[in-house]
Amino acid sequence: MATTAMAPFVQDTPLEIGGRSFHSRLLVGTGKYKDNATMVRALDASGAEVVTVAVRRISLDRTKEEGILFHLDPSRIFLLANTAGCYTAEDAMRYARLAREAGFNDFIKLEVIGDQQTLLPDVVGLLEAAKALVREGFKVMAYTNDDLITALRLEDAGCAAVMPLASPIGSGLGLLNPFNIRTIKARLAVPVIVDAGVGTASDACVTMEQGVDGLLMNTAIAEARDPVAMAHAMRLATEAGRTAYLAGRMPRREVAVPSSPTTGMLS
Amino acid sequence: MIALLPRLHAVTDDRVVGAGRVVERAAAMAAAAGATLAVHVRTRALGGADLLDLARRVRDAVAPHGSWLVVNDRADVARAALAQAIVAGRSGLGVRDLGRVAPGIPIARSVHDAASARAAEAEGADFMVAGAVFETPSHPGAPAEGPTLVAAAASGGRQVIAIGGLTPANAGAIVEAGAWGVAAIRALWDARDPAAAASSFLAALPATRTVALVVNGESRAVSEGTTLGGLLTQLGLDPRAVVVEHNRRIVRRDALGATRVAGGDEVELIHFVGGG
Repeated sequence: MATTAMAPFVQDTPLEIGGRSFHSRLLVGTGKYKDNATMVRALDASGAEVVTVAVRRISLDRTKEEGILFHLDPSRIFLLANTAGCYTAEDAMRYARLAREAGFNDFIKLEVIGDQQTLLPDVVGLLEAAKALVREGFKVMAYTNDDLITALRLEDAGCAAVMPLASPIGSGLGLLNPFNIRTIKARLAVPVIVDAGVGTASDACVTMEQGVDGLLMNTAIAEARDPVAMAHAMRLATEAGRTAYLAGRMPRREVAVPSSPTTGMLS
Repeated sequence: MIALLPRLHAVTDDRVVGAGRVVERAAAMAAAAGATLAVHVRTRALGGADLLDLARRVRDAVAPHGSWLVVNDRADVARAALAQAIVAGRSGLGVRDLGRVAPGIPIARSVHDAASARAAEAEGADFMVAGAVFETPSHPGAPAEGPTLVAAAASGGRQVIAIGGLTPANAGAIVEAGAWGVAAIRALWDARDPAAAASSFLAALPATRTVALVVNGESRAVSEGTTLGGLLTQLGLDPRAVVVEHNRRIVRRDALGATRVAGGDEVELIHFVGGG
């Protein structure tokens, strides 16, 4: 489904995370949409199979919106619960256990935030929580900095995927350090999925051109003027970037090389 | 949450008042039920002066036993007779205006469906009288809403007194459904021995104490012995859509019905929301 555009031209393998196999390399969030109907249409337009959700208290004042599962069909999409908003390893573990109890799967998108202003990860707490949750049988997908050493430690801890940021959550600044992302991808055996920071389709394309296994985004789609159209653009950009990576780009040169023959010119 | 709201409510109407001996019968019930009884003076057949006279005599008869006097609609009479609560009926003043006339007296709202219960919460009712729960000769032809109405009314956290066709035989089930207590007209006033009828009701009420929990960070009173499953029912929540954490321990869905809460317990009810 998700690979219709590229399928005739390149051979790609499915995205495999923790024993599960996915066709789409674009993973999307469900936060910040102005209404659920728009969200549902955007998710559809994105072609994403993995969709993230957050764990929160239910509103006891039932005049408020129902839970998101009234709008998502867990038999059609893969629900990936996150631990967004957790500032300690202990909190993140508590949220992960609650999410697993909801009964959909053993996967958790682990976030341990270290700073309210930048929402950058607390890598010490992240490693602690990752180790504990892996011991408890979770398939941990760890949101982390674009730092190779932390990524390696997370892989050693048994994470199912490592998810370095392109730039801070919700910033839309795009891929700030392609070199770091390429380095991480080159050194890790587990899937590397860039999570957070993409602002528009070109960001998604450039990120995928680095060779990473997937891309997770929320705000870039939800806060677009037309989220459904942007979701479609992100799907194309993710596929374009992936296809370009597989196609192998030409070398960079500091000199010009003519595209047209230099022989056969009129004398 | 009214800490000492009685659980058994002997409600009068024009017929009961017209039949006489209201004060005598109220006194007999008060002697049997004490602080668990509230006697409601409710009639449109009497003018202000006669109504106040009746209310005062009822109060003088029941107060020595710790029972409450409750007056319907007439905040002026309630205040003059030192009533412990007022019930706002359908056609009288609203809860806010009753409160202006009789500040400091708890006010209940008479509710008949989920929408009127939500409206009662919005206007600041302290508790609710919900009915008709079962079929009753007072309202022939009116649909009996049953335990569903009680659960819907109680879901906002206010105490609910169920009314309409209540007997000692069905009172227990209604309290299980989330009612704080029960109200009756015929089953009490028409009994040959109203005191014995009151005692039968009290024996049928399953729990006589409440405990305070913290549910999602908010204080909430429930009957002692309430299970987590019962709490979800009272809140109108589908157990399949909620994950329950009880004192920091996750309780599996199949164990909710067997897990009882105790005073001071912390309960978190969580679900999935949109997130990145």
